Amino acid sequence: MADPWQECMDVGIEIARNAGTLICEALRNEVSFMTKSSPVDLVTETDRKVEAMIISSIKKKFETHSFIAEESVAAGESSLLTDEPTWIIDPIDGTTNFVHRFPFVAVSIGFAVKKELEFGIIYSCLEDKMYTAGKGKGAFCNGVQLKVSEQEDITKSLVITEIGYKQDPHIMELMLSNMERILGIPAHGIRAVGTAAVNMCLVASGGADAYYHIGIHCWDMAAGVVIVTEAGGVVLDITGGPFDLMSRRLIAASSRAVGERIAREIQAFPCGRDDRQNNLSN
Amino acid sequence: MTSASNEEPSANWGECMEAAVEIARKAGQVIREAVKHDKCVTTKSSAVDLVTETDHLVENLIISSLRAKYPSHSFIGEESSAAGEKCCLTDNPTWIIDPIDGTCNFVHSFPMVAVSIGFAVNKELEFGVIYHCLEENLYTARKGHGAFCNGLKLQVSKETDLSKALILTEIGAKRDPETLKIFLGNMERFLKAHVHGIRVIGSATLALCQIAAGAAEAYYQFGLHCWDIAAAAVIIREAGGNVIDTSGGPLDLMSRRVVAAGTQEMANHIAQMLETITYERDDYNANNL
Repeated sequence: MADPWQECMDVGIEIARNAGTLICEALRNEVSFMTKSSPVDLVTETDRKVEAMIISSIKKKFETHSFIAEESVAAGESSLLTDEPTWIIDPIDGTTNFVHRFPFVAVSIGFAVKKELEFGIIYSCLEDKMYTAGKGKGAFCNGVQLKVSEQEDITKSLVITEIGYKQDPHIMELMLSNMERILGIPAHGIRAVGTAAVNMCLVASGGADAYYHIGIHCWDMAAGVVIVTEAGGVVLDITGGPFDLMSRRLIAASSRAVGERIAREIQAFPCGRDDRQNNLSN
Repeated sequence: MTSASNEEPSANWGECMEAAVEIARKAGQVIREAVKHDKCVTTKSSAVDLVTETDHLVENLIISSLRAKYPSHSFIGEESSAAGEKCCLTDNPTWIIDPIDGTCNFVHSFPMVAVSIGFAVNKELEFGVIYHCLEENLYTARKGHGAFCNGLKLQVSKETDLSKALILTEIGAKRDPETLKIFLGNMERFLKAHVHGIRVIGSATLALCQIAAGAAEAYYQFGLHCWDIAAAAVIIREAGGNVIDTSGGPLDLMSRRVVAAGTQEMANHIAQMLETITYERDDYNANNL
């Protein structure tokens, strides 16, 4: 039976590539930025321009589809996921990296129907790496199939997370003590490259064994979740329970054993939800 | 010795640098091949200080090739030092080598792995070659001749404001509770100063190259070695940046610590905020790293 969403995925891949071209062109000029929810939550004209291009390109082909996209939500659009075919978009994941020209910047496009993720596309444009995965079809980077490391031992694991400013000092403490606990196990090491989407691709490709993050958004996670699971990995809630796309948190891991060990080590802290109001605080 | 070479001894260093580039590329090829296979991993100073057969193989390849061309030169290499060779810098032309910077990344096939070859004469750093082998990016700099990546000139960021900075660091091999508290305390201080972000990529030399490229404003670390600093210091300085000690004083190549930044102001901001994590110097007893 033909995959009803294959055409959508093919269109998405072409659009992701075009978006990457726009981003690379923008990098030839000086990048000015503004801030959103905090002094370190950056946004640029390119974020908005790229998102507008992605949405309008998709709408031309699929005019009844729905969208949850970072800058549209920041401008007041709803981020509620319905049963409708829905594109979940981060036009530039790693805006801070983009502002600085630090070489990890990605376009992330996920797609859900009846609230189930069907495919994910992440284009790490500065590296020219196109990561794709369709449900049941495996995960690929530039056409080469991806497989997680299958590492089950946390003391042999490389763990990715992000190191970000937290306005609430108590939450800052919890974020840092989570890192302290992982480093003290000791895991082999911690990495932080500055983009959730690329972090998940690194787990999917076997280059790291786990990624955990509290405080990202559904548009950072949607595509990566498909890519990691299709590469043989697992995604969990930060507590070890089932993953929740609107929860603003996840563990993506090479194995359930490593994922659950991380869940046991780290403490959750409040981060809001994408399906509630006032969800943009960092 | 001809009078020409007495007046311009540095002409010889250009030839040395070409040799470094050639052997770095060869070493990179070995690493690119080895990363696809299982690695035989052991540990050195701690459970997370990893070394593989490829580290040894590549270091032997580099040193034997350079020694054949320059038999009177001295060599400081990571794995030779681990095996007990003295790690002290004399006036003699000295090659300072990290065969695989980012061994933990190499073990995991995490894509930040580099070969680093520095060169000093009369204890002055003369040139540096860093080869990011998985992406095939070659970073080079020779004193007085600029810094380049794949032939494109490098220029550091001119940012002086800490609250607009992207900061890079590495964790180091010590994982005892006291060290971790200081490490995280340093990061917390920068986060509270509203730096744009902190990144950890697992390779000191490649992180330092990002400073030279202007892609981040500053780097600081406790626990790295002279073979991690030697090449990168030349590359950053030739790209217009500053490399100093974490105390704010001049760089001490054997001190196991560094601050590097695009501007002096940024380097000073960073140094002022750091609490020290002490590691044994590279030029103490050669058996202790």
